[in-house]
Amino acid sequence: MSVSVDVAWKSLNKHHEELCGDKVELLKTVTSNIAILADGMGSGVKANILATLTSKILRTMFLNGSPIEDAVETIANTLPVCKEREVAYSTFSVLQIFHNGDAYLVEFDNPSCVFIRDGKIVDIPFEKRIIEGKEIREYRFHVQLNDCFVLMSDGVIYAGVGELLNFGWTWDSMAEYTLKCTKDTLSAKRLAAMLSKACDDLYMQKPGDDTTVCVTRVIDRKVLRIFTGPPESKDDDKRLMADFMSGEGKRAVCGGTSANIAARYLDKPIETELNYSNPDVPPTATIEGLDLVTEGVLTLSRTLQLLKQYLSDDVDMDFFLALDEDNGASRLAKLIIEDCTDLYLFVGKAMNMAHQNPNLPFDLSIRMNLVEQIKDAAQKMNKNVILKYY
Amino acid sequence: MKITICIGSSCHLKGSREIVMTLQRLISEKNLDNKVELSGSFCMGECKRGVSVRIDGSEEIFSVRPETAQQFFHQEVLGRLE
Repeated sequence: MSVSVDVAWKSLNKHHEELCGDKVELLKTVTSNIAILADGMGSGVKANILATLTSKILRTMFLNGSPIEDAVETIANTLPVCKEREVAYSTFSVLQIFHNGDAYLVEFDNPSCVFIRDGKIVDIPFEKRIIEGKEIREYRFHVQLNDCFVLMSDGVIYAGVGELLNFGWTWDSMAEYTLKCTKDTLSAKRLAAMLSKACDDLYMQKPGDDTTVCVTRVIDRKVLRIFTGPPESKDDDKRLMADFMSGEGKRAVCGGTSANIAARYLDKPIETELNYSNPDVPPTATIEGLDLVTEGVLTLSRTLQLLKQYLSDDVDMDFFLALDEDNGASRLAKLIIEDCTDLYLFVGKAMNMAHQNPNLPFDLSIRMNLVEQIKDAAQKMNKNVILKYY
Repeated sequence: MKITICIGSSCHLKGSREIVMTLQRLISEKNLDNKVELSGSFCMGECKRGVSVRIDGSEEIFSVRPETAQQFFHQEVLGRLE
């Protein structure tokens, strides 16, 4: 079994603080994916320094294969001591998932990781160890497809404490909510955004503490195939369509002429719709055997815009509302972001003469440029991209 | 009667959506919902003359602009129905 993971995190700063006292580090080694979440004592600059030092030390030492004992010892001996409290302190969680499915989780004073498997909250047996006078919980287990893990700082389980809720959100309620959300969401980023939004709401938009969730989901390999643009030579239509239709995965066609080529090859009619949910994006169509059929360049432009927004640091639930809209561009972006690990692009290089029209309010002759940018964006999301021109 | 409006990239930019909306409004104003059906089509290959509109799948392609949609409706659509 070769395991793929989808990882994302989101932090809320304590109200009035410019810096976050929680720090997440995501890294890949040759054999594994690692997520580290550190929560520095206090808030603001001091907490930020403690959490940053802790996560960076863990990162560096894990990358070099040091055992956890050495890492904890180093952290204990390195962190500056807080003058008020006379301790050097940052809690942390580390989740390492190996490509062969083995997993290792270690926690020091952070709330326990929420672990969801087969639609249930699952307890993993752990061992307690004392290292340098600190109690560490260690978990060793094997992951399965669709497992979901949420690491968090204590700001999450205390969300709303003393205001909306007497005792805050609590681990149990948070775990229940996570379970519910995993059923409605596909991507780690969407789940992280939902959990973070729930915390923010419980705090009534004024978080009393730095609040961070880090979501890891074990995912299957999912292929998405996109065909856009007719080939330079008509003789290549069949070859492109044969490549496009072979193999597994979902299939999207973007472009009117491309749709005509596909319909001819598949010998199925194009059913065009007149759904203008977004005035800037032309309506979609359906062809039996394909998952999505859209207009070309205008749709791809809007899709690229959504992909870029997703890659920017601050993605909240508003973004996902835009992603859920029923128009060609949102549907395509959603497929790329949430339903794909491997993206295959089949791109024809023919120029549409009607698009070489300087009187149009939009430059339509930019298909290849858009495709290259979509490829870059998907690669930044750690997806495997294969681009083939015809 | 079936009116097909091109919604390809070029025609979209030239205002297919406005034309669709105008026709939808006129059709319901005249209570013709049972008689006239609107549908879309990807590129009809007449981008330069867009927005391309076809009636009942005939060969003839009408060149309509948002400003002329109403006139098109009265001349071509109502004209044919009478």
